[in-house]
Amino acid sequence: MQAGARDKAMAVTGLILRASVYITLALPAVIVVISSFTAGESLRFPPEGFSLKWYKAAVNSEPFMTSLWVSVRLACISTVLSLLIGLPAAFALDRYAFRGKELFRTLALSPLVVPMVVLGLGLLQFMAWLGWNQTFWSLLTGHVLITLPYVVRTLTAGFFMFDKRLEQAAMNLRATPWTVLRRITLPLLAPSVISAGVFAFVASFGNITISVFLGFGGETTLPVQIFTYVEHSYDPILAAVSTLVIVVTLTVIAIVEKFSGMDNIV
Amino acid sequence: MNKTPGTPAAQSLQSAQAGADSAEIVVFLADLRKSYGNFDAVKDFTLNIHKGELVCLLGPSGCGKTTTLRMIAGFIEPTSGRIEISGQDVSLLPPYKRDTGMVFQSYALFPHMSVEANVAFGLENLGIAPDKRKNRVLEMLQLVELEHLAGRYPKELSGGQQQRVALARALALHPAVLLLDEPFSNLDAQLRIRLREELRKLIGRVNITTIFVTHDQEEALMLSDRIVVMRNGGIEQIGTPEDIYENPGTRFVAEFIGNCSLLQGMVKDGVFTSETGLSIPAPGRKDGNCLLVLRPEYIRPASGKALGQRYAGLVESSDYYGSLTRIMLSVGRDSFLLEAHFPPGTRPRKGDRLELEIDPHGVRFVEA
Repeated sequence: MQAGARDKAMAVTGLILRASVYITLALPAVIVVISSFTAGESLRFPPEGFSLKWYKAAVNSEPFMTSLWVSVRLACISTVLSLLIGLPAAFALDRYAFRGKELFRTLALSPLVVPMVVLGLGLLQFMAWLGWNQTFWSLLTGHVLITLPYVVRTLTAGFFMFDKRLEQAAMNLRATPWTVLRRITLPLLAPSVISAGVFAFVASFGNITISVFLGFGGETTLPVQIFTYVEHSYDPILAAVSTLVIVVTLTVIAIVEKFSGMDNIV
Repeated sequence: MNKTPGTPAAQSLQSAQAGADSAEIVVFLADLRKSYGNFDAVKDFTLNIHKGELVCLLGPSGCGKTTTLRMIAGFIEPTSGRIEISGQDVSLLPPYKRDTGMVFQSYALFPHMSVEANVAFGLENLGIAPDKRKNRVLEMLQLVELEHLAGRYPKELSGGQQQRVALARALALHPAVLLLDEPFSNLDAQLRIRLREELRKLIGRVNITTIFVTHDQEEALMLSDRIVVMRNGGIEQIGTPEDIYENPGTRFVAEFIGNCSLLQGMVKDGVFTSETGLSIPAPGRKDGNCLLVLRPEYIRPASGKALGQRYAGLVESSDYYGSLTRIMLSVGRDSFLLEAHFPPGTRPRKGDRLELEIDPHGVRFVEA
């Protein structure tokens, strides 16, 4: 009886704990979304009235829209590049034994460990030395660097879980290495590749530190734009822009989820 | 096969040669070796496999049987030696250029493809036209009686069905040799026995040369035309199941395949005397130290008419298996294993005294 009561107490505590974690995680976003619909002139919670006027303002604001476009472009290109580099890297890490393999692995994952500010400063100096300073290329390089660890990590896990006997079975069925890659390895790794891509996209899209250091010629990324905007004004357009960002991100994730939700894959 | 009595080794050599004369060689392995550093996973492996033959590589885990199979399939490169399939040297060819069909222990069905697509995969790689391919897939699925599941995915199938798909997939290419890697180890005991029977029929029907690897001696005895017993990377004995069971060439084979009683001793003037003084006639055996091997069927409780000498012993253990009772009997310090059926109520118990007789036809000797 006593054990029963204790179990019950544990269950209730667990429920409260879980609920509070979820609420804490979701609350900031929820507050931002709700306040974006305010009819008032200042950003506060709860909002005053309801209107879409700040959305209109956001869509019509050139700095925000330009920087949104920069961010989307940057995130897409760095995701693709990161996958193109990360896929062979993860493959090599998984399949081959070579000298300095652990060093290579650590190096690929190091941008996660090195403080972003240090990385940004280092890159800034390096890019200046290269003469690439203040260009899209330097920004792109920085973003590929910070997305690469996510890609390599996710893909090495994917490769590790991959049953290599399937490749042998395919080879036994007269498939050339290229056919094995195209029809067995890549399709089965697709979920890993997609989640690696999502991680990379989100890491790039939300990054601010690297973008501050490597930003170029007036064109900035959306997070930097929001950050600088907050310095001189604090109006609900920020909430509207943030909500748009949330919607875009969730849509991307939902589409990817639906697209890759192949239950047939173990 | 040649059945002239002789030493087991000579006999297995004879049967190997008799086979060589009668049929075309499909797989030829010459002095195959695979070393990892100083360790020889497989060594001095020479074997001919003839058309339509079902050969089993049998041995405990780590004996090199799977390594050998994987070398034939091309997944492991031999350190030295030669592999020929249908007369072609394939030692250095990649797996996809070898005419083998393999069924993996885990079946390795492609999880993202339907049963039909799994079976069609190899045919596509061979560039077989779609209509012809479709027919062949259907034919294969009919062969394994799975045509009604063509659209299913592997994870929707039972273990036995998965095995049959793997088999259909391998056979669809009409390979020169079928390779089976512990095909029954993932199935429960009941199913294993049923599928074993099915597999034997199926292989008989398509009459394909087959090499299979197992550590289960019962499986090997029941399925094979010829058994290759392996130990520590080398071949211990090659022979028909009957050869291997009835005339084990070494102590290892005697103990690994089936049950037996082993008596250490020496032969002098046609009589074997065990270390503890028990004597058993051994006509024709050369003098010297040796080990007497006796299968349990050749030992029986003494009855009315005497077969030969009788030995009185003490029952050490008596295990009832229904159709038979397995008894460990000690005679002096030697112990004998016998299996017999006793009428109800007469089964000896531990501690009983029992007289036993040895059928002289069943006495075998191996080097000590």
